Amino acid sequence: MRHQLASSASLRLTVTIAGAMALLSIFGLWFQYVQVTRAFDAQQVQTLQADLEGYSALYEQRRIPALRQAMEFRAQTQTGYERIYLLLDKQHAPLAGNIPTWPANVQTSATGFQADPLQRFSYDLPDGTHQTFIGVARDLPGGFPILVAQSLSPRAQLLGEMRSAIMLAALGMVVLSALAGWLVSRLVIGRIDRVNTLADRVAAGELAARIPEPRSDDEFGRLEDHVHHMLDRIEALQAATARLSDNVAHELRTPLNRMRQRLDDLTGPAEVVDALKAELRDTVRVFEALLDIAAAEAATGDMPSLTPVNLSALCQNLFDLYEPIGEERGLKVQARIAPDLWIVGDANLVSRLLANLLDNAMKYTCCGDTVELGLHPNGARHRLSVSDTGPGMPDAPRAHVFEPFQRGTQDGEIPGHGLGLALVRAIATRHGAKLEIVSDQKGFAVLCLWPKVTQA
Amino acid sequence: MTKPAILIIEDDLLTAEATSHMARDLGCSVSIETTFEDGLARASVDHFDLIILDRMLPGGDGVDAIPKMRAAGSNALVLVVSALGRSANKIEGLERGADDYLAKPFDPEELRARIAALLRRIRMQSSDNDILVFGDLEIRLKARTAHFGQTHIKLTPKEFELITFFARNAEQPVTRTQLLSEVWNLHFDPGTNVVDVHISRLRRKLEAETGVTFIHTNRGEGYIFSHLDLKSTL
Repeated sequence: MRHQLASSASLRLTVTIAGAMALLSIFGLWFQYVQVTRAFDAQQVQTLQADLEGYSALYEQRRIPALRQAMEFRAQTQTGYERIYLLLDKQHAPLAGNIPTWPANVQTSATGFQADPLQRFSYDLPDGTHQTFIGVARDLPGGFPILVAQSLSPRAQLLGEMRSAIMLAALGMVVLSALAGWLVSRLVIGRIDRVNTLADRVAAGELAARIPEPRSDDEFGRLEDHVHHMLDRIEALQAATARLSDNVAHELRTPLNRMRQRLDDLTGPAEVVDALKAELRDTVRVFEALLDIAAAEAATGDMPSLTPVNLSALCQNLFDLYEPIGEERGLKVQARIAPDLWIVGDANLVSRLLANLLDNAMKYTCCGDTVELGLHPNGARHRLSVSDTGPGMPDAPRAHVFEPFQRGTQDGEIPGHGLGLALVRAIATRHGAKLEIVSDQKGFAVLCLWPKVTQA
Repeated sequence: MTKPAILIIEDDLLTAEATSHMARDLGCSVSIETTFEDGLARASVDHFDLIILDRMLPGGDGVDAIPKMRAAGSNALVLVVSALGRSANKIEGLERGADDYLAKPFDPEELRARIAALLRRIRMQSSDNDILVFGDLEIRLKARTAHFGQTHIKLTPKEFELITFFARNAEQPVTRTQLLSEVWNLHFDPGTNVVDVHISRLRRKLEAETGVTFIHTNRGEGYIFSHLDLKSTL
């Protein structure tokens, strides 16, 4: 899940960076293209203007004959049709030029030799090609139309080549942008991932995990430092708690031990001494259960200390232990245990969980009821169930049944301190097992879904 | 046979004295040390059959001393008696080389039973008996069968393990906690006296087959296995 999120964040970052870079560079190329087009057009107008100024000078000197002579000379010397020119007489018959006819749709405008206004037209040339031109068509005094134009083909070709180059460049920019975006996002996400990986390891119980050096002197480095300080503090607190419970255990057990030994020296009524011994044993049991719950909760996620355990064998062992006591109480005790189902766990804790569940089921049932222990494979988990047909439990206490000191009944006849199921929950959590109370049947049933392991 | 030698390493003098008293009762010679270093030094120098070891000692955790004693050549059996008494602590102690583990506060009878069982184990190590005999009752360890005279007594595997454990510790008190840990491999107190029902069944079965009461209830705590006519307080 985290990886999906991380990769999608990384994807978003890559796309954003790459998109921004690509857009910027494409805009730059387009701007350059427009500039080049404008410069080229201006240059063409200038060339046209220079041409026209040449003809104007000739016209000033010797009028039409000079123009005609110059055009004929150029028509003989020039190859190709990059520039076209044509001079007509008053009857609109050609006098000189390198094209035979006046282009259709071209009207003479104005009378001088200025390159404005310009006209754009297309024309079928004598060599069979069809080209577009830009030029001026003028009426010279006396009714002599003159046409001077330049082909737009070189411009179209140049701009076409430029467009291809721009396309290639843009493509290259997109690829480079994507690469740059990916590198940046990898850098950023990589740094975040270091913290995420650490958080994962800590969540899995490896509280001593730290991000390896070196630490950079930037926001990421500071974030890592903060997380480390936080973990150091949690670790110190946890160690203190563990020390405290060991000390509590030691400090309380030693005086309790002396009390126990002095009880033996007591000369009093045997039943009083026995009752005191039983009370003492009960006290130790309660405080052991509390320490066990705390220890199992503290160790939750510490997977390395768990080993493969044959859950089927443990179930059978505990069932064998409890079956006679159930029969003795007139219960129908059954087991349906699928063989060879393995989990990763702590055999002692799992036995304890089973003992507590069976003990609980037998405590709250009476003669004629059924208690059943079931273990079956169920997809990725093993389904363990302990169910009984006893009186069950009202909904209200059922919700808190796994809390410490919660009891299924206020019936003082049934012994216990309400720690059995709290320990069951702590042990299940320690093993990553899901615990459920089944409510849709008579009696009481606890389901425990264990992550399975396949044993070679 | 010489007296078994026992070393008690315990910083709580009251407990040390009580333990020492009990060990002498069982016919042992007793030495007491009160710190980790002294205990380790003593165990490395002198020969002992059994070492009774506390955990939270001045100078260190008694369990850490076990491999060091072994390295120094001691092959004494080790009984850890500690205030670190949760089942996880017990398993840790047993896995790190202790032969038995008793949590404080303990019932003196429980300690006596465990010392006796360990002493018996020391004696048994030298004999390679396949058959344990109690009057007409024969327990064949390799064949895993029990006979009374010519009668074969049908036992479930668990019942056989129970009777074997009893027989090996005959005439000695055996506690419920001992039975749970030795026969069921469970190192916690389930609270309910689940063991009692198993014992009564086995006792009834033996009585029905043999007409003799072999398993006697020991007042307050546990049982005694004996083919002699004990005055039991059932």
